[in-house]
Amino acid sequence: MRILCAIGLRGGADLVRRALAVVSNSSPELVLVHVIDEGPRHELEHAHGPLHHGPRSHPERWHSVDVAETAAGEEALEEARAAADAAGVAVTTQLERGNPEHAIVALAEEREAGLIVIRAREHPELRPPRGPKSVGHTARFVVDHASCDVLLLRTD
Amino acid sequence: MPRLAFGLALFAITLLLVIIRPRRISEAIFALGGGALMIAGGFVAPAQAWVILLGEWNVYGFFLGLMTIAAIAEQAGIFEALALLAARWARGDARRLYLAVFLVGMGIAAFLSNDATALILTPVVYALVTRLRLRALPFMFACTFIADTASFLLPVSNPINIIVLSAFGGGLGEFLRYLLLPAAFCIAFNIAIFFWLFRRDLRYSYDISRLEAIPAARGFFRFTIIALSIICVGYVAGSLAQIPLSFISLGGSALLLAGAQFYHKLDPRRLGSDISWSLFGFITGLFILVRGIENLGVTAALGQGLVRIASVGALPAVLATAFGTAIGANIINNVPMALVMVSTLRGTAASAGIHQGLIYATIFGADLGPNLTTIGSLATMLWLLILRRKGLDISTMEYIKLGITIVPVMLLAGALLIWLRL
Repeated sequence: MRILCAIGLRGGADLVRRALAVVSNSSPELVLVHVIDEGPRHELEHAHGPLHHGPRSHPERWHSVDVAETAAGEEALEEARAAADAAGVAVTTQLERGNPEHAIVALAEEREAGLIVIRAREHPELRPPRGPKSVGHTARFVVDHASCDVLLLRTD
Repeated sequence: MPRLAFGLALFAITLLLVIIRPRRISEAIFALGGGALMIAGGFVAPAQAWVILLGEWNVYGFFLGLMTIAAIAEQAGIFEALALLAARWARGDARRLYLAVFLVGMGIAAFLSNDATALILTPVVYALVTRLRLRALPFMFACTFIADTASFLLPVSNPINIIVLSAFGGGLGEFLRYLLLPAAFCIAFNIAIFFWLFRRDLRYSYDISRLEAIPAARGFFRFTIIALSIICVGYVAGSLAQIPLSFISLGGSALLLAGAQFYHKLDPRRLGSDISWSLFGFITGLFILVRGIENLGVTAALGQGLVRIASVGALPAVLATAFGTAIGANIINNVPMALVMVSTLRGTAASAGIHQGLIYATIFGADLGPNLTTIGSLATMLWLLILRRKGLDISTMEYIKLGITIVPVMLLAGALLIWLRL
């Protein structure tokens, strides 16, 4: 079975280990994806004030943001990949840009994944463990829109 | 009466267009259009408009110098170096980094204006904390808020301060007498509340080895640091001696330009694009627009209202000015609101002491007000609603909740501190 693992900036290795524990009886192929959220970039892009334009007018400022986002994403994927390698399963990584929830659902369809594994929140400690706010908007969207099964990791 | 209605409608429609910016057309076009219609409609005589604009030479010169200084500092990599320095100083502790970002933001806002912190430092900090794999949102909030909270530390910290002080005068001593304590309180309160609100985000540590090396202070970089230090001292000395601050900012930018030329780092095209030329059109239009409603007696009526409040007591007048300006800044944007208040106070016959307090309450309200809805205009709120609709996790309520819970406390405490100095 092909499993798409949505990797945030933190906790990717743990997600991979737990996904593998759930599907231990099959021989899974993992697709680890990290989506660079372009939301903050749009936020910065729209900022402007009387004295200065926002970073929109500055290719160099965007470039440094690009470099930082890519480096952080690659590092997160590498950590998760190391966990998969240690378990000896087939694994590929993919770094995407855009709206995370849309990208995860689209990629799962494109790669014909049988299961998506995602954490309920990238920062679970920031919200109550149960209740309406316990599942973040990315995970909620994926649960609502994915055409395959979704494994939602709710605990650390 | 129809004349009054027409003038007010012209003022309101112009400001609405400035806020909404249909088709992302520059606000300067609408402000200038509104100003031109004020002249064409006979609300401001052409000769009077000319006199107003000539009288504001210090404001124009100061803005040009300030924008040039910030642009060259950015080209020299000062903002990146400060952010890296902050991250190294924090030694891998997100809490220390958060404090350091506040302090760097405060320093930049104090000497290079609030906009430099909000618009130049914020993307630099975003790149830094993303690289460190920390949650970016608290750091972006910190930059946005401290930009305004620290913008009444010095006369040069916010364009509003210069606009108001150019109209009424007043040196550094008087400025600090009224605004140093409110600034100290608001900054401390801002930092403390944010540490509490984001305490869980700040539990993380980060790997300091991910950081790039701080560039060695050589050549143009070193020159820029020295020149900026001279400019900072110049601002303080100039404010003390009541020298027009445009002299300092233009002199400082000339020094930096000469250094950039000497080190072959001057890129006129980039410098030209870094300077917000539309600002000059924007404030020119606003100066005329506000004079139009002043000639119609609108601001005098507001002034009479203030005098009536002042007759009850100085404290209600200071509170009304600070809160009224802050709320107005969120409805019509803070630059036009400050100009309306300048015009209002010009026609206010309050006693000298109270009048001075009201001038600084205006600066305080216009500087801090934008934090009520984060950047301080309806346009921001509309934009946030659009973001929310797109499903981003930065909810409108999260933004506005911060402003609405924190800023009124700051306004109240700051107004009380200004009143105590009367």
